[in-house]
Amino acid sequence: MKKAEARLFVTTVALTACIASLVAQSVRERDPAWTAPSKDAAKANPLADQSGVLAGGRKVYGQRCTTCHGDEGRGTDRALSLVAADVQAQTDGALFWKITSGNTHGGMPSFSFLPEAQRWQLVMHLRTLSPDDGSRIRARNR
Amino acid sequence: MSSFRVACLCLSFTFVGVAGVSAQEGPYFVTYTHYLEEPGNLEIALANTSGVPKNNNSAYSAPWLELEYGVTGWWTTELYVEGVTTRRDGNGFTGWRWENRFRPLRGEHRINPVLYIEYENINEASRIQKEILGSGAIAYEPIAELRQSPAHELEGKLILSSVVHGWNVSENFIFEKNLSAAEGVEFGYAAGVSRAIGALASGTNCHLCAENFVVGVEAYGGLGSTLAFARVEQRHYVAPVVAWHVTDRSTIRASVGVGLTESSDHYLVRVGWSYELPIRGGK
Repeated sequence: MKKAEARLFVTTVALTACIASLVAQSVRERDPAWTAPSKDAAKANPLADQSGVLAGGRKVYGQRCTTCHGDEGRGTDRALSLVAADVQAQTDGALFWKITSGNTHGGMPSFSFLPEAQRWQLVMHLRTLSPDDGSRIRARNR
Repeated sequence: MSSFRVACLCLSFTFVGVAGVSAQEGPYFVTYTHYLEEPGNLEIALANTSGVPKNNNSAYSAPWLELEYGVTGWWTTELYVEGVTTRRDGNGFTGWRWENRFRPLRGEHRINPVLYIEYENINEASRIQKEILGSGAIAYEPIAELRQSPAHELEGKLILSSVVHGWNVSENFIFEKNLSAAEGVEFGYAAGVSRAIGALASGTNCHLCAENFVVGVEAYGGLGSTLAFARVEQRHYVAPVVAWHVTDRSTIRASVGVGLTESSDHYLVRVGWSYELPIRGGK
């Protein structure tokens, strides 16, 4: 790489890093506009009576969700608690829709690339998370 | 390329190998989907394109290192460094690329658009073929000569991606302007379909379960330029693809592209390995 090219390369990397650090969100806020359409919220979990598939949901949660939401779903500085009352109060269909759709504005990725059955397994696992006692919520629920 | 540069490149690749590669990683090599890198995650990927050309030209391997960072939920930025090595024509460093993808819509829609813009500081020896544009076969001159021809290029893509009954369907419309030469604006395309093999996740940690595999096929090629469509000189490939999620964070991908036209190589064999690393916040 010639000197001028090297300088351009370093400048590009530095510029990207600066812009990225300015734009990056580290604290998540509740997004009140992010709600499931009523048709999706009304969907029932087709696996609800198959307790044998719960272990798979736990595994998928460990693979896809723990980095941001924590092992027990109590949230981190990247994402909010999943055990808070207003999350657990949502219907299975609403949780499924949020996992599927994501929220790019709030930093939640879309998981529509997972097979539908695995997203329902995730919903099943979310229902098993211990309810929060109120003192350990690290951020507001989105 | 000096032996020192080759050593540095190899060392980087070795490090990546040791560190491990992305669970969300799809199977495609050329086609982009609407899935961006998770915010705060860095994906380190090592990949290689090996070409088997026609007309007794020298076979080549073009490795690249890719660093992909999720800045926000709607912006992913990537840096590539690439090289090439051939059987008879020499080897060398072929440049770097800086790419950005932006997802303008909040959630999942029937068709999910992503805007892509990339700056390339490469030379005519570049053979990774992350996209194929314009027309004409690869230049098979000695690498040292080709490296004397720099190419500063600006590339844009419109990425459209959907999920239809468990299948991912993606289409990319590509256009590129070489700022170093009067080549007009070149055009290209990429399209792919893929799906996960398994449905339910098993409760055990298994490496070879069907749920860890995604299979599909992609097609890509050049569509001429504003100066010439040159249909008979275009390169087009169709490639079955497979991705294996080896661990929660690492993925191996492979594909064999078959050349469909006279200007295409016989085959493009691609392999890649990626590792996803959370570097900002999280548990």
